[in-house]
Amino acid sequence: MARLKEMPFDSSLPFSALVGQEAMKRALLLNAIDPGIGGVLIRGDRGTAKSSAVRGLARLLPDYPVVAGCPYRCDPGAPARYCDECRQRSKTGPLPVAQQPMRIVDLPINASEDRLVGSIDIEAAVRMGARRFQPGVLADANRNILYVDEVNLLDDHLVDVLLDAAAMGVNVVEREGISVVHPAHFILVGTMNPEEGELRPQLLDRFGLCVDVHTLTDIDQRLRVMELERDFLDHAERVLTEASGAEATLRATLEAARVHLPSVALPDPIRALIARLCLDGSVAGHRADLVVTRTARAICALRGGLTVELDDVLEAMELGMPHRRRDPAGDKPAQVQELAVRAAEQLSQIKATTPTENGQPVDGESAESEGASGGDATEGWTTARTQESQAREVAESEPETVIQLPTFSIKKLDLPRERQARRAAGKRTSTKSETKRGRYVRSAQAEKVTDIAFDATVRAAAPYQVSRRQASARDLPALQLERQDLRQKVRERKTGNLIVFVVDASASMDAEQRMLATKGAILSLLRHAYVRRDKVSLVAFSGRSARVVLRPTASVDLAERRLERLNIGGTTPLTHGLMTALKLIKTERLRDPRVYPLIVLISDGRGNISLFGEEPLLEAQRTAAQIKLEGIRAMVIDSTRDFGGQPGHPRSRVTSLYGAYAFNVCADLAERLGGRYYGLFDLSQTAIVDSVQREMLRSS
Amino acid sequence: MERFTYPFSGIVGQDKMKLALILNAIHPAIGGVLIRGEKGTGKSTAVRALARLLPELTVVADCLYRCDPDAKEALCPECRDRVGRGETLPRARRRMRVVELPINASEDRVVGAIDIEAAIKSGERRFEPGVLAEANRNILYVDEVNLLDDHLVDVLLDAAAMGVNVVEREGISIWHPARFILVGTMNPEEGDLRPQLLDRFGLAVDVEGIKDIGQRVQIVERREEWESDPAGFSQRFADEDAQIGQGIAAAIVRFPTVVMPVVILRGLAELNVSLQVDGHRADLVGRKAAQALAAYRAVGEVGVNEVNEVADMVLAHRVKAAGRRELGAIGQGVSSTASRASRS
Repeated sequence: MARLKEMPFDSSLPFSALVGQEAMKRALLLNAIDPGIGGVLIRGDRGTAKSSAVRGLARLLPDYPVVAGCPYRCDPGAPARYCDECRQRSKTGPLPVAQQPMRIVDLPINASEDRLVGSIDIEAAVRMGARRFQPGVLADANRNILYVDEVNLLDDHLVDVLLDAAAMGVNVVEREGISVVHPAHFILVGTMNPEEGELRPQLLDRFGLCVDVHTLTDIDQRLRVMELERDFLDHAERVLTEASGAEATLRATLEAARVHLPSVALPDPIRALIARLCLDGSVAGHRADLVVTRTARAICALRGGLTVELDDVLEAMELGMPHRRRDPAGDKPAQVQELAVRAAEQLSQIKATTPTENGQPVDGESAESEGASGGDATEGWTTARTQESQAREVAESEPETVIQLPTFSIKKLDLPRERQARRAAGKRTSTKSETKRGRYVRSAQAEKVTDIAFDATVRAAAPYQVSRRQASARDLPALQLERQDLRQKVRERKTGNLIVFVVDASASMDAEQRMLATKGAILSLLRHAYVRRDKVSLVAFSGRSARVVLRPTASVDLAERRLERLNIGGTTPLTHGLMTALKLIKTERLRDPRVYPLIVLISDGRGNISLFGEEPLLEAQRTAAQIKLEGIRAMVIDSTRDFGGQPGHPRSRVTSLYGAYAFNVCADLAERLGGRYYGLFDLSQTAIVDSVQREMLRSS
Repeated sequence: MERFTYPFSGIVGQDKMKLALILNAIHPAIGGVLIRGEKGTGKSTAVRALARLLPELTVVADCLYRCDPDAKEALCPECRDRVGRGETLPRARRRMRVVELPINASEDRVVGAIDIEAAIKSGERRFEPGVLAEANRNILYVDEVNLLDDHLVDVLLDAAAMGVNVVEREGISIWHPARFILVGTMNPEEGDLRPQLLDRFGLAVDVEGIKDIGQRVQIVERREEWESDPAGFSQRFADEDAQIGQGIAAAIVRFPTVVMPVVILRGLAELNVSLQVDGHRADLVGRKAAQALAAYRAVGEVGVNEVNEVADMVLAHRVKAAGRRELGAIGQGVSSTASRASRS
């Protein structure tokens, strides 16, 4: 089969024509100058030209020398990184050299593991009985850019492979009787929309730089975007020709920067400064130091400077740090400001303690003006300062959250995506699916093969084809399969949690704070649920009945609207609420037996309406026990308890608001449900989210 | 085997939905339409009926992906090779089709997979194209799109974003163009769509059951008539359908000549900024939809009216809950920004 892989560039917009998004463009260009920076992750809203920029970059990539005929494009100048074959060949004499353009290799998220890693060449095996390695995407990616669009949607097992290869710089293949090790040094470039899910921190750290892109808000820029798109749709070729001049200039600038890069000086004070700033920025690991150093040098080379200056470092910090900070950034422009001030201070400190060769004092003022002139040198690029101001504009105009909750803003609630969220996403969501649905993730030998993994079967049978054909005299089709060759497809299907909120909407919940807190907690959980593809459902009870306000859905939007409209008032039919939730879960289980339900009961526990004609409290207790019997996880959030669990609060605040009830109904219900008990106000907003997550991680 | 489909013009009411479909047929780059509504509101009927009104395309006669011989940048690898070898690509005319993606489809059927027969018979590793290949330059129709499996949505998003389907699976490594008009129908009661996929639909329309008694009666009558005599019924609406088809064909020709004043573009951008719509797709789609509408109505220049008429289709699925309340005021918004801009 002909190699039809190389993606053409002519269907993508020219890089130089892209409007705005300077930080993103700069990050990409810096990688083209120094691949050692290690790639870039572009995070942002949908429809902000993320993919177009990466595609456009392909035209600007340099040519480099390769060993002619080597499938991994080994660098003739780097014997330490030769593949096995090149190493053998180099013993007998100098290797033939050819020039090849660096390119962008796509890793589609539908990729299967055998194509990523490489596997046995079926054709060669079946026809000639040769056990030959068919290189995979990782082989193509060696010394190239590996581009993953929507990288946060990449399957976990592919991410594992990718991480392994990235960490070692080699790809080790041991499968189907093939044993190959080949170099796999690649620049990882990824785009993602954070709304669709988070990235595993380990993978995040593999990206050298990270930029957040936002929708342009400048009307003129938006106009230019519209016009550009129209022109490109109507006459792509004309747009490309018109841009060819600018593209050539950009190419030349990059080429000059590449040549210039090795001669860029990095003074010791600057080195020390970078180390200090990275330390202050409380980042994990040393990769940040390396990345910032390399990036600062590339920035300096791009502006044609001789020595790395403070401003280069600041810009490099801005590109290299956002995804490495332990505490997710809050107020970005302020941080940038603060960093600039701190950096200037530290630099003068360092300079004061260590005698320097170039005695030129650098204070914040002069450094900034130098930076600005440096920006002018590379025409068409904004300086670090204009970028800052842009970032500020964007931050200021950031849309407000829909429902305004004075005490419990969703913004705050949305933050914690640390360990628990990660574990939840990795561990919980995939179940091996026995039906023929779901992603085909790998193959396995099986007693009885019902869902045949054809490719794996062929690969398993391939090495024996020649001998089998020789053994049978008759004229048979090319492929001889035997029972032991058969492979079963292992499919994985994501089944999310189902979180059923059972919310007390009775009059006793009317205290404004209480309902606000409840709504705030639910909303933040909804946001989390979407990111992790959980379903949520909402049961509200008041008056004489409970109703399903929201059928199980993954739609945050819908849930928000329903929640907004939730009315409060009436009596407290607690049992009705619990029974409705139970029924709902049972139905949902019929539809998908693998669903993993969790009931979150938010109430004051003062059930006063009977469902079966018994004492309301007893009924509620019995229903709780029934829910536990069904193996449904649950937690109870007591809306009447303030500061219950926290030490150090005045004792008087701890007692229930309804002091007359000596018996804590909610705690009792929690016990009967086999779940945990929390007080609404002793949980900070984040704590509510955390505790729900913890519940979901507890295996049932 | 002539199979009758219910005629497009035989559908009672639901003008917004019909218009959205027609605009897409005129200018596929609008990027499809999502039809949201209750059961039994003629969603699927309309999409299937549209097939007969679709324009003919110029294609490379023997190309699996129906490449456009005149769009060099969108050729498949094989056609590229042929052009590279100096061949003239054979041309043919094909009607645009509606390709269905069933929600229970398996990933290998959607993306394409190894050709099992070729592998067994001759040990050859050959690619068997999937639904995405078939959908290139056609309409990809997903009924109940909100029920689509998550991993299929991912695949769909990936392909829709790039206009290309890259296959790296089961020993196959290939890419081919996959530029399709995505048309989906859904019943919002069954759950919502992921925002990312939502944004991929150029337009969205909400359909409701018709409240008008006269029209309701008419619907039942027509349906009965259609069921008892499909041939005769189709015949009855043949003229009207042909008229719409011609209208579409004429609009396609007219489209490039329609003037799009900068004032209008500016008004559109301002509106989207004020509604805090994420991304630029609303601008881009709005421009194209308004221009297509002007072409369909045979208006030489896009005016406020055209923008007004398409605004809610463009924005219905892009505006956040808070903005949605203001959607009613969109018409005024567009006119006021446009008139303000024209004054300055």
